[in-house]
Amino acid sequence: MRKNLALLLVMVLVVSMFAGCAKKEDPEEVVIYQNKVEINDQLTAFAAAYEAETGVKVTVKTAGGDTPYADALKAEFQSDRQPDIFVIEGMGGYKVWESKLSTFEGDAWIDLTDLEFKVDGKVYGFPVAVEAWGMAYNVDLLAKAGVDPASLNSQEGYRAAFEKIDGMKDELGIDSVVAMAAGPDMRWVTGLHNFNGYLSAGLPYGDTTVLDKLLKGEADMQRLTEYADWVELLFQYADKSVLLTGNYDAQVGQYATQKSVFIHQGNWIDPWLVDNGVDFPMAFAPHASVKGTMDSIFIGAPSFYVINKDSKFSQAARDFLNYMATNVKGHEYMVNEAKMVPAFTNVTLKPSTPLSANVAEWVAKGKAYTWLQNDMPDNFGMGTIGPVYEGFAKGDLTKQEFIDQIAAKIAELK
Amino acid sequence: MKKQAKDKLVFWLFLAPALISFIVVVILPFFMGLYYSMTDWTAIAGVKPNWVGLNNYKSMFSNLAFQYSFIRTFIFTLISVISINLVSLTFAFLVTREIKFKNFYRAGFFVPNLIGGLVLGYIWQFIFKSVIPAIGGLFGINFLEELLLLADPTLTLFGLILAFTWQYAGYIMMIYVAALLNVPQELLEASEIDGANFWQKLWNITIPMIAQAFTITSFLTLVTSFKQYDIIVALTNGGPTDIYQGTVVNSTELLAMHIYNVAFKYNNMAEGQARAIIFFLVLSVVSIAQVYYNKKKEVEM
Repeated sequence: MRKNLALLLVMVLVVSMFAGCAKKEDPEEVVIYQNKVEINDQLTAFAAAYEAETGVKVTVKTAGGDTPYADALKAEFQSDRQPDIFVIEGMGGYKVWESKLSTFEGDAWIDLTDLEFKVDGKVYGFPVAVEAWGMAYNVDLLAKAGVDPASLNSQEGYRAAFEKIDGMKDELGIDSVVAMAAGPDMRWVTGLHNFNGYLSAGLPYGDTTVLDKLLKGEADMQRLTEYADWVELLFQYADKSVLLTGNYDAQVGQYATQKSVFIHQGNWIDPWLVDNGVDFPMAFAPHASVKGTMDSIFIGAPSFYVINKDSKFSQAARDFLNYMATNVKGHEYMVNEAKMVPAFTNVTLKPSTPLSANVAEWVAKGKAYTWLQNDMPDNFGMGTIGPVYEGFAKGDLTKQEFIDQIAAKIAELK
Repeated sequence: MKKQAKDKLVFWLFLAPALISFIVVVILPFFMGLYYSMTDWTAIAGVKPNWVGLNNYKSMFSNLAFQYSFIRTFIFTLISVISINLVSLTFAFLVTREIKFKNFYRAGFFVPNLIGGLVLGYIWQFIFKSVIPAIGGLFGINFLEELLLLADPTLTLFGLILAFTWQYAGYIMMIYVAALLNVPQELLEASEIDGANFWQKLWNITIPMIAQAFTITSFLTLVTSFKQYDIIVALTNGGPTDIYQGTVVNSTELLAMHIYNVAFKYNNMAEGQARAIIFFLVLSVVSIAQVYYNKKKEVEM
């Protein structure tokens, strides 16, 4: 009796396994597996509206926050329903998922942006949103000091402006001209963002010659020397305590309380500013990282939507992304609902937060320098050269020593 | 014979869970680690590690950042062990005397130990960055007001030792309290009748009687200081920078943090593993030597 029962159980198990594998005719459904918890509701609502209009069901699944997206994604791929669209974060993600990615060809959105993720000339990723940094300035204070923002496009222009503002500290009620941070917690500002100026400022978009040389262990000494002047200028007009020991709150706080005219940060400080009720007008000016006239800020996309190669509905998935980029409703979702800056030049809606709105203007003008800071070897920016900036900021290193040390660290990459 | 075999079986069966888990989580990883430290393993899936022999060990000793980290770790450990033991012994003496609220004090000194290292690091960061300059401003002391304590390598190291002592002294104090309460009162009374003063009693009776506690406390403080990681991450994040033999180094990047950075931030798993093995060897030698030396000092009643 007992034996029979066991046999029966095994039979049931086997049958149910086959049943699980049985092919059913799936209705067309696009599954998007994404990593931004904060836009989950907005994206779901947008997907529902899309289904109402086109009849194609789009399911939004979100991981992130406490669960690391990369791990959750691997688990998702083991399940029987793989996502059709998922997210990678640049080259690192590409290397992991290379075998799973399909290319975009002839999609309408590709012509509307420069920020698509490309490898060897093939388009793999749809930019989710744009982030950018430059020298953000307080429009009111700059006007009060009588400095024309248009003059902030070269090292000479900045030097003149900084000197003038520095002489009017008491009038303007500021502690220092720039809110700059180079301390142990802020090495991403110096070693990644500031150093990216050395890699790409003044060069055409997508030009990687300086980066390629760096990866081979060669420093462009001419550029590096010019770049050191820029670093020196920023450090010279920064508040010492924020510069040496300040953290993110200290740096953004100095700017938010109008104790500095400039801040070396990007549009990601918007939520911080909104939360703290900061509402003075502000905008970005280019970094004058090297000699010459600069006309762009550093614009890039931190993450990309990619299409699963094995997806049965890859065409539907591509249609969905195209709709998002080309239809006004898609723009409305990205700008007004999800509060992102879209990467597409056809978007006319303006973000409501001050710095993001300014970034949207730069995107529309198509004035961007490349993000190359994430293509350097692991921890080179923050771990290897970050401390050199701090040594320079403290005065342990002279400008010449700073140049030599950076060059030496680059030479070690050979 | 049969009973003996059965006993043996039972013996091994009962031992098995502990033995197997010990082998699986301690012994095997240790030898795997030893193997990986001699390869160029990076933990990227699908890439086979290549054998590089002792290269990781050779490069380690010529690495200035590692040398510097080693020296700083020794300095940190030495000063921490002394300061924690001095502070906790003093507290232990105070709270074992007949004073009011002594249980309240005991609990009070112990509480910092219940705060996690990360939280504690941030608290002290706030004190060093904001409270000290504010006090300077209040009393018009310019030096304090403009002091950037966390920008100076030496001061930062002492700041770390202060924070660590504050956290750990209460715990060590409890061990000393237990030991002090076990010192036989009749010995102390007898010596008092013989006319011994406080210092003579301390040196000739109390200290020898609590020598066992010294063995434990020095071992605990030594090992914990040597492995210190969480307070440093929160308080200084490795900074500020210092200049060592012409290169810029992170002044509070002690060994545990250094190994973590090499392994996970630079993604040089094998190199980090090699350093971890040296770290293990040095720590074992130092702590075994310390226990051996202290054991010889202990007295039996």
